[in-house]
Amino acid sequence: MTLFLYAIIGVILAPFAGVLVVGLDRILTAKFQSRIGPPLLQPLYDICKLWGKKPMIAHRFQPLCVYIYLAAAMVSVGMFFAQSDLLLIFFVQAVGAIFFVIGALLVPSPFSQAGGNRELIQILTYEPLIILVLAGIYLYTGSFKIDAIYALDKPLLINLPLLFIVFGYALTIKLKKSPFDISASHHAHQELVRGVLTEYSGKMLALIEMAHLYETILILGLCSLFWTTSIWGMALLLVITYLLEIIIDNICARMSFRWMLKSVWTTGIVLSAINLIWLYSGARI
Amino acid sequence: MLKKLIEKSQIKSPWIVHYDCGSCNGCDIETLACLTPLYDVERFGVLNIGNPKHADVLLVTGTVNHRNKKVLKNIYDQMSDPKLIIAIGACGLSGGIFKEAYNVVGGVDKVIPVDVYVPGCPAKPEAIIDGVVEGLAKLGELQQQNKTDAIAS
Amino acid sequence: MFENLITTLTFCPLVAALACYFLRGERLRSALVIVTGIVLILSAVLLIGSAPVSMTPALFTSVKFKTFIQSADFLLLGLILYFGIKFKNRIIIGLSLLQVIILGYFEFFMTAGTHEAPVGIFCDHLSLIMVLIISIAGSLIVLYALPYMKNHEKHLKLKKSRQPRFFALLFLFIGAMNAMVLVNDMMLFYFFFEITTLCSFLLIGHDKTEESKRNSLTALWINSLGGATLLIGIVLIYTQLHTLDIQSIISQVQGKDILLIPLALLCIAGFTKAAQMPFQKWLLGAMVAPTPTSALLHSSTMVKAGVYLLIRFAPAFAGTSLSTLVAVCGAFTFLSAAALAIGQSNGKKVLAYSTISNLGLIIACVGINTHASLTAAIILLIFHAVSKALLFLCMGSIEQHIGSRDIEDMRGLFGEMPITALVITLGILTMILPPFGMLIGKWMAIESASGNLLVILMLALGSALTVVYWARWAGILMGSDFSGKSTPEKMPLFSKIPLFTLLSSAILLGFLTPIIYSSMILPDFSGLVAAPFSIHNGIIFNNQGSFAVYPLFFIAIVVFLFALFLSRPKKAAQQVSPYMSGIQGKQPGSFVGPMNKVTTYTQSNYYLSAFFGEEKLSNLVNMTAGILILILIGVSF
Repeated sequence: MTLFLYAIIGVILAPFAGVLVVGLDRILTAKFQSRIGPPLLQPLYDICKLWGKKPMIAHRFQPLCVYIYLAAAMVSVGMFFAQSDLLLIFFVQAVGAIFFVIGALLVPSPFSQAGGNRELIQILTYEPLIILVLAGIYLYTGSFKIDAIYALDKPLLINLPLLFIVFGYALTIKLKKSPFDISASHHAHQELVRGVLTEYSGKMLALIEMAHLYETILILGLCSLFWTTSIWGMALLLVITYLLEIIIDNICARMSFRWMLKSVWTTGIVLSAINLIWLYSGARI
Repeated sequence: MLKKLIEKSQIKSPWIVHYDCGSCNGCDIETLACLTPLYDVERFGVLNIGNPKHADVLLVTGTVNHRNKKVLKNIYDQMSDPKLIIAIGACGLSGGIFKEAYNVVGGVDKVIPVDVYVPGCPAKPEAIIDGVVEGLAKLGELQQQNKTDAIAS
Repeated sequence: MFENLITTLTFCPLVAALACYFLRGERLRSALVIVTGIVLILSAVLLIGSAPVSMTPALFTSVKFKTFIQSADFLLLGLILYFGIKFKNRIIIGLSLLQVIILGYFEFFMTAGTHEAPVGIFCDHLSLIMVLIISIAGSLIVLYALPYMKNHEKHLKLKKSRQPRFFALLFLFIGAMNAMVLVNDMMLFYFFFEITTLCSFLLIGHDKTEESKRNSLTALWINSLGGATLLIGIVLIYTQLHTLDIQSIISQVQGKDILLIPLALLCIAGFTKAAQMPFQKWLLGAMVAPTPTSALLHSSTMVKAGVYLLIRFAPAFAGTSLSTLVAVCGAFTFLSAAALAIGQSNGKKVLAYSTISNLGLIIACVGINTHASLTAAIILLIFHAVSKALLFLCMGSIEQHIGSRDIEDMRGLFGEMPITALVITLGILTMILPPFGMLIGKWMAIESASGNLLVILMLALGSALTVVYWARWAGILMGSDFSGKSTPEKMPLFSKIPLFTLLSSAILLGFLTPIIYSSMILPDFSGLVAAPFSIHNGIIFNNQGSFAVYPLFFIAIVVFLFALFLSRPKKAAQQVSPYMSGIQGKQPGSFVGPMNKVTTYTQSNYYLSAFFGEEKLSNLVNMTAGILILILIGVSF
């Protein structure tokens, strides 16, 4: 019952935390570019403004896809706070990702079609990496459940350093940060307009932004699992990781999806294989 | 409360789409200059979103001619309410020095309703930012008026 | 009661087959199909109460029956030999002669026709599940075939209907398949195994085109290879253990690390039947057959015979290096077939590759060979059969309607065939999304495979690839022009019933997974210290993880209904056309280009042929898979 309560609290608080994270992200990005940047609550204003727009839809099934996307993101965050099965959380999250793509593919617009296909390639790129990271966690703790990680007396990071880097790759792709902002990015890009987001507008876009907030929180939550033994350690890990994400986002250009698939799969698989072999060998630090 | 928040947000988060009707690119360069660190319009929540379906503010530069008036109208139609139209530069206002040309319709307001006119040849970035702020103030007035209308009725 | 049911399940289709072949009236055939279907479904359902049973019907002990089977065996091989000679295919001639010689030596010299009779029928829950799949999915598919074949022949403009032959073969196949999963005698198993091979050959070649002839011969030789390895395996086992009783073989071999060579041969026989890499070629070729054939034989039942063989013998090689190699081979097939599917735009080929890929996943689970992974294998077996049969049938309807198999031609299908488009989309979603059954199976598979580095690597990559080719297909099916309007679709009743039954069972059975697990899968595991999974309030769990089936289904239903309610067509919402960076043309998918000319643009999915094209990957995949098979034989020595 307490777990259920945690889930509810998590689902309610996550978007607010998400607004702060994304707002901070935008301010820091602006600072890196020697600008001042928007107010901290800018993501909230954006979502509210979008919610107030007059509805306009490009396809009758698009709202359905968006609602399912948001719901899947919410459920996966709830399951995370309820300390459920990691693999299952990931699968539930994937439901949302798939509906997000389907919604974009519904509309016969070249931009959203190309964006949808690119988004699929992004899913293709990060999904195996995350499964491998989860397999690594399983090998170390003997369980896919989150509570097994909290029962550890040493941070996961010590024995899974390479898998953490792999996870970093997956995180960057999932958050659509450069160089992996291939299917859509925060600002429009010439050849793709807004890619997978092009045909979503008004309320639909607001809901998608909400879902993004949930996903950001989920990903940071997964990231926090690598250092569960001390709250300061966890905070440190999260801050450093996210800061690195922002820096990478600012210093990289977007690359092509072919490059992404090739380079991320090779590095990701090699790194996780090395780390997994280490775990299989039974050696522990 | 939500309605209040939405109204506040509408002022605080103008997303922009920029359409060049046939300008000499002078105004366009000045418009894009607004995004640079020197002017940093993101302070006001402005994003160059590049997609009329997401945008709240349409910045139009250049003279409208018979060929591109349909495109202009089309972009206007694809933006959802509430939306602001800002005409930039002498050409956008009236057709400028091309006004008498055989293929020119005239200013932007010949095709779509314009909320704010930003003069200049080219318009200065400060003027353009001022224009957007003016437009947002107009939006605020509109919100007030809607409220009093609602109370009156 | 049990004996009667078994008799019905095996002989009723046989009678129906004969009747279909000789009674040529169309009405009569429809009535026959419906009656046989109902009888089959009823007896399969009634069988649920009886399992597990092992018994020997009186018929089996009679000398006449033995002689009959023997001569039928030779007749069958003779028939295959005949086809080999007729079509001048040396491989088939060679393989069938080889089998004749081995069989002759075995029957007349080794056993001299007197081997002690094994227990005739063994029906545990695995057999029961297979019988249910064969009888229910089989009947529905045959029902669907009624309107389909009528259209098909109308399209081909045949002078003389060849439907009697078609339906006779389908029924013969169903009977043989039912018998195969119930018998406990290796020789009988081999006999029915060969019948299915022959049925598949005849059905693939049904349309008598050049292509179908060529592909049917490929299928015949590859499956004969499987038959030959199966036969050699049986003979080798007999020389050691002097029995043909499957259960007794398993219990004698279990945990002893002996007889690996014959077991490896059985596995290879299973691989050929399940079209695992590098034997996949025949299944791809088999797609030329009329769609009911593909649905029945080449996705939901016959290819499962190979998997069934492996699951049946899994305890015999548990814990050996052979088992690990089986897992690696299966996982490799899962990965490579999924990769190849990405490069395809031919819908039926995508389905074929996905079948191969999913069978690979099941075989990987068998190879991991823990109770949890075997549970995963059986769950995948059930749900794959249901969902894939559904997808194939939808594909058949679409193909007949739009005259193309290409996925790109199915853009905006919702506008033309709203019902079919909706059903196939939901079918696709049941393949890839939780909380549906396939995903429960995949979840179990990945959790139990995490103990093997190579397998988990391939499963991780493969499952991501799977998502891609399904999702992009689902996306373009439901797309239509921006008004989202659709013309109502007319569908024959006999097409509607199978489609909706399969769809609702794909969804409903997913919901019932906990019950299926505890009543149909768990009882099969003997000598358990702890059950692989426990169930509490509809949550499947063990100490590795948990899958909340009922809660997730509940959430899914609530979300879906709520989303449907929120996204109902509203007047206030303005319909807008897609953004085209300019002016839209009146027709969807066009814009006004230079000189006011309306230009249509082309859009296409990414098929990534630079990475996943058939010509890029096939050789590499075949070579790797061939080496894996060699290693598999190697480790058995």
